Parts: sequence; structure tokens; C-alpha cells
Amino acid sequence: MFSEVSAQKEGSSLLCRPDSEDQGPVFERMSQAYSPWSERYSVGERSFSRQYAHIYAARLMQMRPTLSERAQKKWGPDVIIKKLCDLEPGEQCCIVGTLFKRMELQPSILKEISEEHNLLPQPPRAKYISEADELILEDELQRIKLEGKVDRNKCVTGSVIAIYGAEKNDGKFTVEDFCTADLPLQRERPALSSDRFVLLASGLGLGSSHADSMLGLQLLVDMVTGQLGDMGEQSGAAAISRVLLAGNLLSQNTQDKDASTKAKYLTKKTQAGSVEAIRLLDELLLQLVASLPVDVMPGQYDPTNYTLPQQPLHRCMFPLSSVYPTLQLASNPYEASIDGVRFLGTSGQNVCDIQRYSSMDNHLEILEETLRLRHLAPTAPDTLGCYPFYQKDPFILEECPHVYFSGNAPAFGSKLIEGPDGQQVLLVTIPEFCSTQTACLVNLRTLQCEPVCFSAFTAQEDEESEMNVSH
Amino acid sequence: MDELYLDNIDEYVNDHDKIVTYKWLSLTLGVHVNIAKQMLYHYLEHKRKESSPQLHATYLVSGKLVENGQTCHKVSVVREDQLEDFKAKMSPVVSVHVYSVQKALLKDSNPLYIVDYDAVKDNLKSCSRFSAIRCPAAVPLSSAQPQQGRETPGNPPPEPETRKTGMNGHANVAPKPPAKPQKGIMGMFSSKPASKNQDGGKEIKSEVKEHPPSEDVPKSKPVAKVNPMLNFFGNQTTKKPDKPVKQEEAAERTSTPELQPPSSPTEEKEKPKGEPEPPPKDSRSKSKRIEDSGSEEEKMEKKKRRRIKRPEPDSSDEDDSPQQTETRQPTLTKEPDTVQQSQVNEPREQQTPFPREGWFTRVSDFQGNSGTKMRKRRRVLKSRTFVDEEGCIVTEKCYESESYSETEEDFQPSKQPPRDPVRAKPSAGSKGDDKKNQKKASASSNKGTKQASIMGFFQKK
Repeated sequence: MFSEVSAQKEGSSLLCRPDSEDQGPVFERMSQAYSPWSERYSVGERSFSRQYAHIYAARLMQMRPTLSERAQKKWGPDVIIKKLCDLEPGEQCCIVGTLFKRMELQPSILKEISEEHNLLPQPPRAKYISEADELILEDELQRIKLEGKVDRNKCVTGSVIAIYGAEKNDGKFTVEDFCTADLPLQRERPALSSDRFVLLASGLGLGSSHADSMLGLQLLVDMVTGQLGDMGEQSGAAAISRVLLAGNLLSQNTQDKDASTKAKYLTKKTQAGSVEAIRLLDELLLQLVASLPVDVMPGQYDPTNYTLPQQPLHRCMFPLSSVYPTLQLASNPYEASIDGVRFLGTSGQNVCDIQRYSSMDNHLEILEETLRLRHLAPTAPDTLGCYPFYQKDPFILEECPHVYFSGNAPAFGSKLIEGPDGQQVLLVTIPEFCSTQTACLVNLRTLQCEPVCFSAFTAQEDEESEMNVSH
Repeated sequence: MDELYLDNIDEYVNDHDKIVTYKWLSLTLGVHVNIAKQMLYHYLEHKRKESSPQLHATYLVSGKLVENGQTCHKVSVVREDQLEDFKAKMSPVVSVHVYSVQKALLKDSNPLYIVDYDAVKDNLKSCSRFSAIRCPAAVPLSSAQPQQGRETPGNPPPEPETRKTGMNGHANVAPKPPAKPQKGIMGMFSSKPASKNQDGGKEIKSEVKEHPPSEDVPKSKPVAKVNPMLNFFGNQTTKKPDKPVKQEEAAERTSTPELQPPSSPTEEKEKPKGEPEPPPKDSRSKSKRIEDSGSEEEKMEKKKRRRIKRPEPDSSDEDDSPQQTETRQPTLTKEPDTVQQSQVNEPREQQTPFPREGWFTRVSDFQGNSGTKMRKRRRVLKSRTFVDEEGCIVTEKCYESESYSETEEDFQPSKQPPRDPVRAKPSAGSKGDDKKNQKKASASSNKGTKQASIMGFFQKK
């Protein structure tokens, strides 16, 4: 896609002597209409003295009408929608409620404390699901155990769904079918006259111990800023109208876990690892923002608050690049309209968390699932850190995005899905750049997505082969 | 000039043993990146033809690549020997150009990054000047803007200069304005000792009132505690004195000549800050007090004046001449017998014995100056007597906080045994006799006899 756009224009080759007349081409960066929609993710007054129960209550209340509507669409307009307290055994009905999955393996601080005398701490696992998990549906007043046609491994705590079935005599509810809120309505996407790209990248991992990836990163910057390549490539790069960095700009290594446990006098003179990394990031951003608009989202390892929604990184950390109006420091769930194309996404915490607490592994699949549930982060606040909202749950999708992404995935993936009402959504999992050297380009005109890989030669390949020989 | 760059590159590569990347070259020579790429190619070709010692080059190849069933746009930096392989893999090949030229064969590509990094770092402000893409939107905000919300450490230093140059016309004037504000700020610090003492002095006074026996002891401590906050107020008062004093003077024109208040505005101006002008003023104000205790308006006026006076007591503290104690004593002793005065004095007098609280009241006191009556809180030692369960009569002494307004009168004269103010007089002033006579004659018309005696005390000195 990008290659074709770039290759179309066959310019003079650069493998020739410079022409003294020629001053070199200069392309104009494509401008675009941009409007951020992230206000809902900014936390103004921060009060942490509240309970989390309010989120679930607000979530259920907000989603109940939608789900009732869906249920009626699916099971007929005369389906009985009941609350749990009115439930009669044996009666076929539909119930709207929040799922709760009781998991034996879910880390629990209470369990740790009660068992601390004789047990070693549990090693962190990749997955916390087991055969013994139980699925429970809760509404405002009651809860009921579920069985039947509902995949408990796929479901996660906190999703609001409607189930259809009947309560058995043993007090469990046998599910015959269930439905989710599915995609919300979508605004129409304006038709663009030319190809325009938005470059998505995540997981730059600055400040990591091995700096091998740095040339790749520099190549990315050079490509975007129009230094690299032939004229064709440069003119193609000029069509990249925005860069979106989706979190984890700093490496996990910059988070010095020792700092909190070490004696103060030992760490007094040591500088936090993130200081140098942020400086590096500032320089990198400076190169980018001098050439095009950049949105910077924070991620799990970045110096801002940990709980979702993560607030934008602070300007004062970027003394060089924050001078440019093209630098946009965004919140972690990110929502904006770029040339009329609605972007929504996160730095990947929500997806990773669902991956841990469900049988789903593919980030793309999980991403689609959250879209179908109409909720960005159903596992918050259960297993995912989250601000204690109480009047409304900002993670409920109210409008269907055109591009729905999540960052820091192990691999690139993209998929165009269709909603029940004709919505078209491009799902993108943005790979972690520091390990994959891959970013991706979204074509705003066609909603296509393509990875861009960078590579450089390393001595390792040679060494490895030599070592193999020696073995 | 056409071929000059060949020599340049040759020098960098062979003599300086540098890795010359296109980006570094572009920034160093100040040419468009594409020109730099071509220059490197030309140089390479040129050298190859000459069959001079071997040079190594790296190339950049980009194009469409199908990998694991997925198409992607691949951008690679490759060694010369890998170039054809990569080109073959890609279809179409979008760009190929020389990335770098160097003498040694690169084992891995990290040095390339380091070279570029250094080059970019040296040219951070203009790193995309020679690139092929121009972004009209990316204009750094003017240096003034960032200073408000977004700070740019680089900018502030140049700014003052530009300001200065902007004011070229008034070469003489220009430097001054900056100096003045500074004075304002600096003044705050420089005048610290003075203001400190002022306030301190007051503090002490109030304290003394409450514990007459320990007059001198607590002097220094409260001062230290109080000052940082009070500098502000103290400073303000020092700045203002001229005008209000004049008013006062005018108001008091009709005063009886015998009183002869010692300080006059002119005098005050002449005197260096540190000198003990204040006591006279203080006394003057007090003398006035006697008469006007009645009317509200005048009280207000006095309050205003008091603010001016505040500086004075402290300066008297500053010089530790023997007078010091004496000067203070009169003010102290005087109060008891002039009960009415207390009205005016109240806020000051009623300060609690605790220095810390002292400055709170002071602050509010200051506010009070603006003329509005305010309710205030203070702690007062009260004794309560009551009969407890066992039938014993118990007297409890405890501090209570109570609110009061300035008009309220609860100064207790009984606390201090009245001393004869006149006694202090002779020992005190022998100093400003002349001044007194010349200048002070006009001041404070309404002063009572009692005040006069105090004034006299200052004057004689």
C-alpha cells in the first residue's frame, strides 16, 4: 500500500552524481483536520476515597437499555426481561447483568496474607484461568451462578451481557443463549480525495539495556521526516499526516523497582533511569514534531499515573519538543478524529489483562471482543487498575470508532470488521517497536493498514552462525 | 566548487577515519539530504575508479516485501554485499541509496546510529532543515509563549537581550526599568533586618505587656520566628511613609506647640533606614490617641497611621544602645494609665503571649488597617471558678479562644503597675533637640499632656 504510493513517482535515482542545479525536492506535509475527543478520559478532581462498586453500578445502569434492546432484537420483542430478584424457577426469561468470574488462581492479597505463614508466594503466571472457575451473573441486587451455553473461559469479569434461559431447581441458571451490546452507532466517514496515512507505533522502549533497536527507531524517524529514501519514498512520507505513539515509550527497565526498597542513602546520588530515557525521547520527539503532528500516549511503563485512564505525560518533561504546537500529549485511552476518521485505542493494558484472565490469546481477537462488549476495559477495576469513577463509566463506547487499536502487542495484526448496522471498523494491534522494529500505517482513505518494518544488519547473525559451527 | 565536496568527504573518511552517513554529511555541509546521498555515491564511484584503498559502504533499501504471507513496507540498512539480495527480495523496490561510507567494514550497524545521533544532537534545532518534507504547521511557538505555560530552558537567556535591544532609543533609560523592579524584590530582602525588627519590636512589646517582669528576655526569639512572613508587611510600610505622614502632619497642624513631636516627614526622609526614628513617631501617634479615642472615623485613620508607624519600634530595637530599654519602657508604662488609648492599640496589645500566634494576629491586624472592622480570634487566659461535684470551689485557669472585634475594649490596665512616664523622660532624649524644635512644632495639634511628656522624652534625647 505505502510502497505502491511511494513507488508510483519515479524520480531521478539517487545513485548518480549530484546535479549542481538541483536543490533537492521539498514536499509539503499533508495537513489534516484533527480534533481530540479525550475529555472524557481526563480525571479532574482525583478522589481515591471511593469504593469501586460505583463503577459497576454505573456500568450496568448505562448499558441496561442497550442490552434490553439487543435482547428484544435477538429473541423477539416479547421476550421477558427480568431482574434476578423476580426470577422464578423454570421460567424462560432474559436477564441483563454483569459477569463475574470466580477464579481460584486470581491473585488476592487477602489470600496471600492468610496463607503467608506456610506458603511461598505464587509465581506470576501467564494465565490465571483454571477448570474450577465459576461464572456468576450479578445485577443490582443479586447474583446467580451460570451454566450451560456460555464459554466461561472466554468471558471476563465486568462485562455486561444479556443471558437467555431459565433457573433450574438447584439454583443455577442454565444459559441457552446470550448476547452482548455489540457495536454502537458509527458516524459516516468522509470520503477523502487522496491517500493519507497515520503512522501508529508503540513500545519504543527507550532506556532499555540493549540499544540494538535504536537504529531502527532512527530509521523510522528519518523515514517519517523525509530524510530517507528516494524522492518517491519522500513524497509518500509527506502523505503521513500524523504519528501516534501508543504508549510504553520508555522501557520497563527504566522503572527501578529497587529504588523503593533500597535505603535512601544508597540511592541518593543515583539518577532515576527514566531521566535519561525521557531526554532521549524528547530529542526523538523534537525531530518528529518539527516535521509533523505527533500524538503521544502514555503506557504502562511511562512516567504518569498507573491506573486507567492514564493522564497525558507532563509537558515539562519535554523542554525541547513541547515548544512545537505539533506535539500533542494525549491520555491513554485515546480518542480523536483525524480527517473525520475516528480513532480510539489504548496502549494495550486492557487487552493484556483480558489475555491473562481468559482463554483468548490473540490480541486482535480480544480487541474485537471488547468492541462487541462495547466496553474498552471490562476487567477494570477488577484486575486492571482504574480510577474509581462513580457517576459514569467512561470506558463504555458511546460511538463506534473507525479505527480501534491497542498498543504493545507481540505482533502486528489488523482486521476490518463489520457491525450489525453496517459499521466498518479497522482493528489494529500495534506491535511493540523495540522487539519487532515494526510500526504500522493506516490509510485514512481506504482504512487499510500495513506494517512498516525496519531492519539493520547486526553482528549477531554472523556470530550465531559461527557459534553453531563450533558446537 | 563542483568537485570540492569530494575532497571534503575524502578528508572525513580517510584522514579523520569517520563514518560518513548521508545525514551527517547533509548537516555538516548544509545540503539537502538527497544531494548528500548523491555526493556519497559520486565519491564512492570516484574512489572505486581510482582503485584506491578499499572503502566500505552501506546502502538503504526500501520496498514492498512479503514475509510470512504478510506484506509490509520494509526499510533496511544493508552492507554492500547484501545489497543485491535485499533488492531481489523486494518488489517493487522503492528506494536505494548510499547510507554511509567508511573505511572499515562495519560488523553491526550501531555505529551508524551513534554517528547520526551525534550529528542530530548538534543540530537539534534545525534537524529537519535539509529534509525533503516541510511542515507548515510545525512552527515553534515564540519564546514568549512557552514561558507562560511551557517552559523552554533554552529561550529565557536570550530574551532579556532582545528586550534591551528593542529599547535601543533610550539607551540610558533602558537599563533602569529592569533595575527598579529588581529593587522592589531585592529591597524586600535587603530591608529584611529593618522590617524584621519592626515587627519584632512590636511583638516584644505585646509580650512584655503580658509578662512585665521578663521584659527583656524574650526579645530576640520571637523576632526570629516572626520575620519571614512579616517582611512583606514591614517592607510595604517602609515604602510608603512619606505621604501618609504628611497627611497626618496636616491634620495635626493645630497641635499645641509645647508638645513638639520629634519626627517630621522630612526628617524621616533624611534619616537612613536603620536609625531610630521610630520611637518618636510612635509616641506621636500615641499622643494623638488620647484625644480621639471617641470617634470611629478617627480610629480608622489611626489604624492607617499605625501601619506606617510599625517600622519604627523595631529600628529602635536594632541599635542596642542603652536607650533601648528606656525608650521601650515609657511606651509600656504609659499605656496603663491611658485606658482609652487602648482602643486604638488593641489589636497589638491583645496579642497572646505565644509568639507563634502573634503573627497571625498581626496579619489580621494588617488587614484591619483597611478600615473594615473584623472579628478576630485570640487566645485569652481566663480563670473560671465553679463548684465541682464534690462541693469544692475550683478555679481553673485556661486559655480560651474568643472572638472580638477591634472596637471591643478589654485591655486590662490592672496588669501593669502604672509607672511614671515622666521619670523616664529626663534620662531619655537629649538627642534631637534642635530638630525637634524646628520641625515638630507644627505637628500633632491635639496631643494631650500625657503624650506630651512622652514626646518630651524622645525629644530631649
